[in-house]
Amino acid sequence: MSGRRVDAKVVLLGQEGVGKSSLVERCAHRRFRPGPYQNTIGAAFVAKVMSVGDQTVTLGIWDTAGSERYEAMSRIYYRGARAAVVCYDLTDSSSFQRAKFWVNELQNCEEGCRIYLCGTKSDLLEEDRRKRGVDFHDVQDYADEIKAELFETSSKTGQSVDELFQKVAEDYVHFTAFQVMTEEKGVDLGQRSGAYFYSCCHH
Amino acid sequence: MAADVHKKKGWEVPNGSLAPGDGQHAERSESPTPGLAQGTEPGAGQEGAMFVHTRSYEDLTSPEDGAAAARSPEERRGEPAEPTSMEQISKDFSELSTQLTGMALDLEEEMRQSKEGKLEPSPQTTHRDSVLSGKEEEDVTMDAWRMHRKHVFVLSEAGKPVYSRYGSEEALSSTMGVMMALVSFLEAEKNAIRSIHAGTALGGNGMWGLMACLAVLLPWATLAVPRGRLVAGGRGCSLAPPCSPGEPGLQVCPRPSRGTPSQADGYKVVFVRRSPLVLVAVARTRQSEQEIAHELLYIYYQILSLLTWTQLNHIFQQKQNYDLRRLLAGSERITDNLLDLMAHDPSFLMGAVRCLPLAASVRDAVSTSLQQAKAKSLVFSILLSGNQLVSLVRKKDQFLHPIDLHLLFNLISSSSSFREGEAWTPICLPKFNSSGFFHAHISYLEQEMDLCLLLVSTDREDFFTVSDCKRRFQERLRRRGVHHALQEALRTPFYSVAQVGIPDLRHFIYKSKSSGLFTSPEIEAPYVREEEKERLLGLYQYLHSRAHNSSRPLKNIYFTGPRENLLAWVTSAFELYICYSPLGTKAGAISAVNKLMKWIRKEEDRLFILTPQTY
Repeated sequence: MSGRRVDAKVVLLGQEGVGKSSLVERCAHRRFRPGPYQNTIGAAFVAKVMSVGDQTVTLGIWDTAGSERYEAMSRIYYRGARAAVVCYDLTDSSSFQRAKFWVNELQNCEEGCRIYLCGTKSDLLEEDRRKRGVDFHDVQDYADEIKAELFETSSKTGQSVDELFQKVAEDYVHFTAFQVMTEEKGVDLGQRSGAYFYSCCHH
Repeated sequence: MAADVHKKKGWEVPNGSLAPGDGQHAERSESPTPGLAQGTEPGAGQEGAMFVHTRSYEDLTSPEDGAAAARSPEERRGEPAEPTSMEQISKDFSELSTQLTGMALDLEEEMRQSKEGKLEPSPQTTHRDSVLSGKEEEDVTMDAWRMHRKHVFVLSEAGKPVYSRYGSEEALSSTMGVMMALVSFLEAEKNAIRSIHAGTALGGNGMWGLMACLAVLLPWATLAVPRGRLVAGGRGCSLAPPCSPGEPGLQVCPRPSRGTPSQADGYKVVFVRRSPLVLVAVARTRQSEQEIAHELLYIYYQILSLLTWTQLNHIFQQKQNYDLRRLLAGSERITDNLLDLMAHDPSFLMGAVRCLPLAASVRDAVSTSLQQAKAKSLVFSILLSGNQLVSLVRKKDQFLHPIDLHLLFNLISSSSSFREGEAWTPICLPKFNSSGFFHAHISYLEQEMDLCLLLVSTDREDFFTVSDCKRRFQERLRRRGVHHALQEALRTPFYSVAQVGIPDLRHFIYKSKSSGLFTSPEIEAPYVREEEKERLLGLYQYLHSRAHNSSRPLKNIYFTGPRENLLAWVTSAFELYICYSPLGTKAGAISAVNKLMKWIRKEEDRLFILTPQTY
């Protein structure tokens, strides 16, 4: 699924209840609604315009349902995504295992998709350190291993949420710029070397 | 997409004992008064219907071939003489004995009882606030749990819990076991028993006592009465005499109409088996077994709409003892909502859809805008507000079934998550095609406006195309300048019965059979409190079940009670239920019907969708 309306497709993945929809709500509407929470049905789409330097980038954010029911269908939501925000609940270690599942899935099916690990509900840790169920350094090591960025966010306080999506937008711009450069300005040694040397000798 | 569009009766047909009450003939248009023949009654579409033609809820339960056979000879003889003129009707009502009045006392008793039984928490508090944060678990050993008026359980044929309306499925595993034993017993008897009636001298322990004593009862019951009805009494169980040979297995069992209060407040246990699932209701409501079974089927269809019939069967073929809750996680709320909706909204009882009252010109403009914002993959474009239909545009030759539309209404009303952004979700419309998913684009037109647009597409990759349809639709609405008129209409989504101008008339439900649409005013005083509203719907349910009783269907019912009088009139073209003051007379009611029918005719282009559009 791709559309001209958006520049970059971003998909949110993760176990149900980790707070993907709240993250989108914070990012798109700058607000947080304390429960009752409702399961996302299928997936919800929100377009968010970000500015990177003097450019604007429209992120098409897909907030997917965490329920296993939609797992078989998740491909349609992450296919062609330029970035995936894989969420886990900082207080729930099982949700991190689920995050690893999604990372594997992306690595196997969507090579071109950059991965952002996002530990959610960090405000709960502010209240009580002992609530942490996923060790920061373990995740950092894992993130390095899979070449992913790591954020610990709170949709309630807004902590690191903007940073996360800003980073996604920036990476998109830089990555795309890099891609354009390699495509158009790259030196193709195999074919153009003769011409290069030829022109060189004449000037 | 291999859509079997006209599949009215398919795989879900139960055995022949579920005969429809209303032996209806489509070709009865030769009736003496063309004004009331099907297709010309008030509310009938001028250019054909939007929906798959359904008679009523019998469509859910009627057997493929048993319909004609099960109709009583009296009824067939009676058909040509079916009264269609007002004169005939008034004559009939005058002759009709008020034998039903006796029931009122009993009914009152039940209503009173149910009020006493208000130990049950209000629906709001029993709602699972969040399935994510662990649903609010009710202690199944508490009295409050037992006092719920209707329990619904879904289990797999292996006896694994799938869904419980109240309390956690986990805590109920032993109950599920008993139910499974019951089901296999019923199976062995070739579905001879579909429901069990129980008195409640057992008090709060009624259900458990019932379960326990049934467990004891089963071995000899199997031997003793192959086609009997189980009646579990207060201190023990006895078997009712077997049904007479011609009587269908599932039927309205005559209950003691002047019994002691405790007896009147009996339980009904109703089973519906739809392999690989078994659905069970334990109800203290006045509904007939048919109606309870009908609600259970809705729950079954709700599950199908999430999984498809194909997937559901595939899963259980692979693994018989699969725990389906894994796949249904997060959908409990939708099922809960459906059950609550069925207790409040007459749409389900009527098997029809209610329209938002709207000036015909505005509705036409909306429909045309919808029609113009089409895409190749679109099958249905539906605009709705609350649980009322504003407009529906469909692909040519594709008809939506009211049941599917009810499921869509329920999906939308059960979740506020659609208010954010645009949702794109797989959904199966089980009556349309139970084997595959459509993809639905769901969004609200504006944040603060209760107007939800549902675009049903066959192509799951088509999100942006469909999303563009929404944009185009909104643009056209703006250009036609109907936005403001729509907003006005939304301010008064229900009309008052006072508009009809009949002083004694309190409320009514009128359904046009050919369009599958019905209209009904707002429920007003004296039905103010929630339980009063439910009581009124209970009365309609009761009349409906009498009118559609499979063994003894009634065309006209006049019901006098201490708090209100009701009148039901069922013809091949329409169904009308009116509720009016207890001081009103029968003659008054009949003239009210006359006046009301005229009023509906006059207002029909506002209350119904008379010119349904296709792309």
